[in-house]
Amino acid sequence: MPFVRVISENKIIEENVTENTNLVVQAGIKKFPYPYLKYKCGMGTCGTCASLIISGKNNLPEPTWKEVKVLKEKLDLGYRLACQFRISHDIEIKQD
Amino acid sequence: MEKLMDQDVFRKALEDAIKGKSANQAPFSKAWATGKLQKKHFARWAENHYHYVGPFADYLGYVYSNMPEEFTDAKDFLLQNMYEEEIGGDRHTDLLIRFAESCGTTRERIKNPDNMSPTTRGLQAWCYNVAMRENPIVAVAGLVVGLESQVPSIYRKQTPVLREKYGFSDEEVEFFDLHIVSDEIHGERGFQIVLEHANTVELQKKCLKICEIGAEMRLLYTTALFNDYVKNDLSLEELETAA
Repeated sequence: MPFVRVISENKIIEENVTENTNLVVQAGIKKFPYPYLKYKCGMGTCGTCASLIISGKNNLPEPTWKEVKVLKEKLDLGYRLACQFRISHDIEIKQD
Repeated sequence: MEKLMDQDVFRKALEDAIKGKSANQAPFSKAWATGKLQKKHFARWAENHYHYVGPFADYLGYVYSNMPEEFTDAKDFLLQNMYEEEIGGDRHTDLLIRFAESCGTTRERIKNPDNMSPTTRGLQAWCYNVAMRENPIVAVAGLVVGLESQVPSIYRKQTPVLREKYGFSDEEVEFFDLHIVSDEIHGERGFQIVLEHANTVELQKKCLKICEIGAEMRLLYTTALFNDYVKNDLSLEELETAA
């Protein structure tokens, strides 16, 4: 089971999740990392769930067209939209 | 005397009630997933689908007003679901219209209720009926668990073929992408609400029954799409051979 660490609002929360987990879906159903993961539209439009990938970046799928459109240059800085990827390996993310 | 099911048993029973009648089994769904439909069929689908999903926030609005004040979580979920359908990001029906326009139909044709089939009209009426008249927990079971929770599994099968076989762009199929995530949240929250609040034998039985009926209604709707728009272009025999 992938181990996930989320740093948000100066809090660190961590938990194992089942493979293929989407963190926004998790937060939407009020499970870890609820209520600390910031998100809004859940469709890659608003950018609220933008997260800096601290570790585990190489295990993520390629950015979706929505991430390219919304994140622009932040994508090169290591940001991803949490609503747009599923997790199959350990990962650490940070939200501003 | 019948006993109240614990939440695990009740959840399995709800899932089984839907599974037997899943719209994935309908010829239209099979034809879609195997790339046997033509763009004109997608256009007719969208002209119907708009009238089923377009008023989804309206359905939920009725359920919201019937939901007891003390069920705060359930009320908040309904409100959030309505918000996400309409103004959370892009309006979901606008994305449906975008896809439909890329299939050769127009916003005017899609919004015109004269272009939906009698079966679609029946599904829409059933949704309004459930939303307005049923116990609100039973209504969540019917509309969210029975109908909405099926969507991710349907679109997971149907979306890849839209890109790969028909060459639709990412923007054109965004309607399907977003529902894989958002309906996963909505369906699961629907389950949580029903599991928590259907706390009598009678309510559990009603929830199970309405899930079954909801799945039947969606299957009926999807089956009619094939009969009304596709069968002259694609026989069931050809479809079985392809599948």
